[in-house]
Amino acid sequence: MDLKFSNKKITGILTILPEREVSFEDEMHNYNFSNAKSLKLKSALGLNKRRIVEEGVCSSDLCIRGLAYLFETNKLQKEDIDAIILVTQSPDYIMPPTSNVIQGYFGLKHDMICLDINQGCAGYIVGLNQAFMMLDQEAINKVVLLNADVLSPKVSKKDRNSNPLIGDAAAITIIEKSTQETEVFCNIKMNGKGALVLQIPAGGSRLPSSPETAILYEDASGNFRSKDNLVMKGDEVFNFVQVEVPPLIESLLIKASVKKEDVDYYMFHQPNRFMLHKVADKIGVDRDKMPSNVVENFGNSSGVTIPVAITYNLGSKLIDEKFKICLSGFGVGLTWASMLLEIGPLDFCEIIEY
Amino acid sequence: MENFLEQMAELFEVDSVNLQDEVIAFDEWDSLTGLSIISLADDEYGIIISVNDILEAKTIQGLYELFNQKK
Repeated sequence: MDLKFSNKKITGILTILPEREVSFEDEMHNYNFSNAKSLKLKSALGLNKRRIVEEGVCSSDLCIRGLAYLFETNKLQKEDIDAIILVTQSPDYIMPPTSNVIQGYFGLKHDMICLDINQGCAGYIVGLNQAFMMLDQEAINKVVLLNADVLSPKVSKKDRNSNPLIGDAAAITIIEKSTQETEVFCNIKMNGKGALVLQIPAGGSRLPSSPETAILYEDASGNFRSKDNLVMKGDEVFNFVQVEVPPLIESLLIKASVKKEDVDYYMFHQPNRFMLHKVADKIGVDRDKMPSNVVENFGNSSGVTIPVAITYNLGSKLIDEKFKICLSGFGVGLTWASMLLEIGPLDFCEIIEY
Repeated sequence: MENFLEQMAELFEVDSVNLQDEVIAFDEWDSLTGLSIISLADDEYGIIISVNDILEAKTIQGLYELFNQKK
């Protein structure tokens, strides 16, 4: 589905990363494979360090740390916030919405919308879409988009497919009306037939967590995980991305009448370096224009990887300059989405630690 | 065919492979090698396969047929 928005802009991006760092080698002994094979995996996929929270830290904690920083440094005024959108797969509670919890923590005005959205790897684009739609309202001038995923507690330490990849992170993006004319092009697609390709089987209503769902079992490749753990069909995800993402980007650029070489950066979701290189080659863009260094430095934080990629790779450059950027997220849902817009100059674009 | 056998030998990190060799019997067989085979199939043969397709193909001969039948 093609979507288009006018006269709206991003004015700031902040990433919040947990201070705790673990390296691939620290955890290699957990996997049921020889060290040689594990190291081959490390170099092929581009794995190294990742950031994960200390036990007990939730999505809202990372968001609250970031918002408190923005309020303290006068980068954001409490009374200006007309809506909070939180995109997460790791809410604090099944009820109430975590965005309401965050609103209450800071005692923000009642005249606002708080909205939780359950989306994964495409969550940044889905969240931006929602923010742009809200800004069509006269009463809404500034939207705070929170992306937070704390999935490391959901991954089995003995799962070589997912454990060495996963990272935790949150990001805060400010979206506002613009007095200058701007155009944002977006396309988004979903296929619920693949809904269980990436999932956490237990913990919801369909299969509540119990002592049985916590039992580890071995899969065909020698990985151990329980029904409480995140599981992904890696080969199906890989094929899905290679088949669906290149034509998605092609049609976005055609709609926007922009040549692929005129895009300054392709800031894509970061599953791993291997997959991003394949995607870049298939679309026919320079690998330098599509950063793929998030997983090796911080891990794959699902819906947060796009703002992590932007703040890490562009950072203060976006305070002074403006770039034409193509965003794309793909995964859980299955959902795949892309967006073309100009970003910058921003009020802030940085990373802080929790 | 010769080119295909060379590619397989490289992926499984052996000097040479035979058509009747079983995929899962190679020391190097694991999900990462599976991903490399899927990637090769896509890049050079223009076909989309899954790990299951590879397991069902069983042998190098089976893989060769898989690569050349789905075209």
